[in-house]
Amino acid sequence: MNPLDILYGAAGAWLAAAVAGLLAGSWRPGLRACCVLSGLGGAAAAAAGGWSLVYGNTRVVMPGGGATIVGGPVQLQMTSLAGVFVAVLGIAAVAIALYAPRYHQRSRGTALYLAVYNLALLACLAVLAAGGMVTFLVAWESMSLACYLLILRHPRRTEVARGAFWFLALSEIGFLLVVAAFVILAAKTGATQLDVMAARGHLVPGGWRAAAYLLALTGFGFKAGLVPLHVWLPEAHPVAPADGSAFLSGVVVNLGAYGIALFAFRLVPVTGSWPGLVTLGAGAITAAIGILYALRERDIKRFLAFSTIENTGIIVTAFGAAMVFQAYRQPALGAFLLIAGLYHVANNGCYKTLLFLEAGVVEHATGTRDMDRLGGLVHRLPRSTVIAFIGTLGIAALPPLNGFVSEWLIFQGLFQGFRTGSNLIAILIVLAAATLGLTGGLAIYAFVRGFGIPNLGMPRTQRAAEARETGQPVAGPALLAVACAALAVGAPVMLAALSRAAHTITGVALGPLLLPGKLTVIPAHADFSAFSPTYLAVFLTAACAVPLLIFLAGRPRAASVSVPVWDGGITRFRPRMQYSAMTFSAPTRVTFDALYRPAVSVRRASDEDPAGRSGPVHYEEQVTPVFERYLYRPVVRGVEWLADAIRPMQSGDVNLYLLYVFAMILLAYLLGAV
Amino acid sequence: MPLWFVRGLRRGVVTTRYPARPDGSAAALPTPPAFRPGQLTRDVADRIVAVCPSAALARRGDILIFDAGTCTACGRCAAAAPDAVTSSGEWELAATARSALVKEIPIAGGQP
Amino acid sequence: MNPASDEAQASRRLQEQIADQFGRSLHIRTLDTGSCAVCEQEIRLLSAPHYDLNRLGFFFTPAPRHADLLLVTGPMVRAFDAAARKTFEAMPGPKVVVATGACALGGVYPKDPFVHGNVGEVLPVDVWIPGCPPSPLALLHGLSVAVGRLAERTPGLTFIAGGDG
Repeated sequence: MNPLDILYGAAGAWLAAAVAGLLAGSWRPGLRACCVLSGLGGAAAAAAGGWSLVYGNTRVVMPGGGATIVGGPVQLQMTSLAGVFVAVLGIAAVAIALYAPRYHQRSRGTALYLAVYNLALLACLAVLAAGGMVTFLVAWESMSLACYLLILRHPRRTEVARGAFWFLALSEIGFLLVVAAFVILAAKTGATQLDVMAARGHLVPGGWRAAAYLLALTGFGFKAGLVPLHVWLPEAHPVAPADGSAFLSGVVVNLGAYGIALFAFRLVPVTGSWPGLVTLGAGAITAAIGILYALRERDIKRFLAFSTIENTGIIVTAFGAAMVFQAYRQPALGAFLLIAGLYHVANNGCYKTLLFLEAGVVEHATGTRDMDRLGGLVHRLPRSTVIAFIGTLGIAALPPLNGFVSEWLIFQGLFQGFRTGSNLIAILIVLAAATLGLTGGLAIYAFVRGFGIPNLGMPRTQRAAEARETGQPVAGPALLAVACAALAVGAPVMLAALSRAAHTITGVALGPLLLPGKLTVIPAHADFSAFSPTYLAVFLTAACAVPLLIFLAGRPRAASVSVPVWDGGITRFRPRMQYSAMTFSAPTRVTFDALYRPAVSVRRASDEDPAGRSGPVHYEEQVTPVFERYLYRPVVRGVEWLADAIRPMQSGDVNLYLLYVFAMILLAYLLGAV
Repeated sequence: MPLWFVRGLRRGVVTTRYPARPDGSAAALPTPPAFRPGQLTRDVADRIVAVCPSAALARRGDILIFDAGTCTACGRCAAAAPDAVTSSGEWELAATARSALVKEIPIAGGQP
Repeated sequence: MNPASDEAQASRRLQEQIADQFGRSLHIRTLDTGSCAVCEQEIRLLSAPHYDLNRLGFFFTPAPRHADLLLVTGPMVRAFDAAARKTFEAMPGPKVVVATGACALGGVYPKDPFVHGNVGEVLPVDVWIPGCPPSPLALLHGLSVAVGRLAERTPGLTFIAGGDG
């Protein structure tokens, strides 16, 4: 019995769920059955993923006795590297299965959507459990198509079609690059089984290795959301249904990171430090730009989409730094940063999915995603707000939750850049750490805004004031909140499992990652620092009790008078007196205007009035879509130009086409002769 | 900046010592009026009551009621009746009771 | 905290308490209930080097929660009632209210639908400082009276020329 067998169970459950979805139509028990099966599959996947962390790599299995797909063999293998990703997939699937029944309306469209969603889950599982190149690529493409259909839940709306198209276009470009990378490796090693490819990696010459890795980084970067390949994320997430967005951010984007990790740590052996440095730089820049763009967004889902880009940046930075340390003969630190990156993958899967599900709850309850139309939701949707708060604490990396643990690990690894022995590398690593520091600070700022503006204060519109909690899904997000807390408090367990996984992946036995006492973490070297997430959580809770005890013990003896909070003497509070989402982020927007390049237009009624009487002021600010305008549009125009140039070949004249056929045959004969 | 410093040193300390010691600039302050009862007749009193912009003066029979709290030290009553009204020179006028600021001045002038 | 004329003894005791508590450090919160802002300019001059109220231990603070003394100017516009009350209630006891300027004492603006005319209608005033505007020296005198450092002179004044001023 090995983890792969449990995965068969998960796959079977998801296949059954897809069939149930296809057959159910708008029949409620059918939809329920679909979600239950999906959840069971998720639980199985989570168990399999967790187990495979400590089990190690299973053997390659060719089911059906050598069945082939697209001419290549179907090969399955469950590896430790994929373990974290499979576990995240499983937990997200369970949470979404609990969430979906209350979120979607009962209709045939929903049933088909759920069927496609389960097929997407299956495809993601196949990507993670692929043991061979062909299986991987087929599964990858199926996953892209299934996700495209997921985003296209309401195909008649123009913005939905546009968002889905961005996703598909960039997925396909990425896929081509990934195919190229795999083909290079397969050709040079002469194998398509990932195991064998990895074992024969040393046969690939240095230049080809670099080319394969860069192609893979770019190709998977499209899916993961590295800047400037991230453009589909803010377009596709707002238009997909909430659980679809949660699935995209919590699982699919992570698959991009898995692809990068696969090439970095398994398939392409270490050659010099610059692939690692490129990855490190790409990750750091992605993180910073992601969070900077997040600060401009009023739409909750676009905001969360940019935050996903930021988290991808952090994960890729960790992987890049691990590669650099491996290249500079610091295998312990390399393994440590790999562990930190994988931990962040798990954390991101939990809190990002949670936040997207809660965004869906908010959209459901109020009918809007615009932060500036919300406010005071903590009074109307108390349970949802509390759960969202736990997710926000996690993603802002505040102790004692899980985001803090993984970011601490990454920072501690980066700070030890001096151990590489090269001043230049140390400086570059410190620059990356500084960028991550900026990102962390901006993330707290962004999430104070992202949580505070919609949830706290007074409702800014009637719809926000009338939001109702009844009928909102709570169980799914609550499960993820518990997972976040568990990942934080259970950090020692998680780290023990991850160090076993790192041992399998990199062959580096990390030594005592946990100090005696089993509750304190050290970043690969005991003389650098130490930290105990468990003690921290206990301490913080106890520290909160101290003011309470002081108050109870030392209550003033004299008669005290209760007076209202001093509010500046305002007699009537109006919602417009509060911060709005854009004014709250105004300081950063002004500072980073060189990046945003906003196009501002101001129209004053007093300018147009002949007497100069004052009136409404119309202020409009638009971010210049730098990447669309300066990167994608020129490429698109170039392709269009090329197509126009080739058009004369398609004249429509049959005689010309016969000439083409004759020329080709002639060419084939000549080549055959040679 | 150095010029300012040097000028300040030359000028010395300009801070007033008040309330420990009296302040010389207080002599130039505009102050509420003081009245000469001997020069006040009913007509004069009515004239200065009418001219006060702040309703600080009122006449009740043969008593001129002067509210030092409401007085703005504008000088209109002194201009209207220079024989009867002069400046009091009093500016330390803080009071803990509002009534302590309302004074009664007898109208003791001869018949007009 | 509002010594009426019949409770002179209680007010003297209170004054001693005030002098004791505020002797070395008094925090003043200014409140403009609709004045023309000239009183505010004179109050601002108190911080200037010539008058320098800090040397006497007086300080300005914007937060009523930190304030001991409320310095009120203006004729108490009715629209400001609630805010004035809130400011007063936000000050922790013991507290002193000083009304300054002819407007705040009932002059210039009579009572009408928009204005009380007299700060005493809304807040319990402890010390009244007349003037239009009161010079910084008069303000210093009034503040010193409020904390019991100086004795008030007004009860002894007659405003009769040739007599005691």
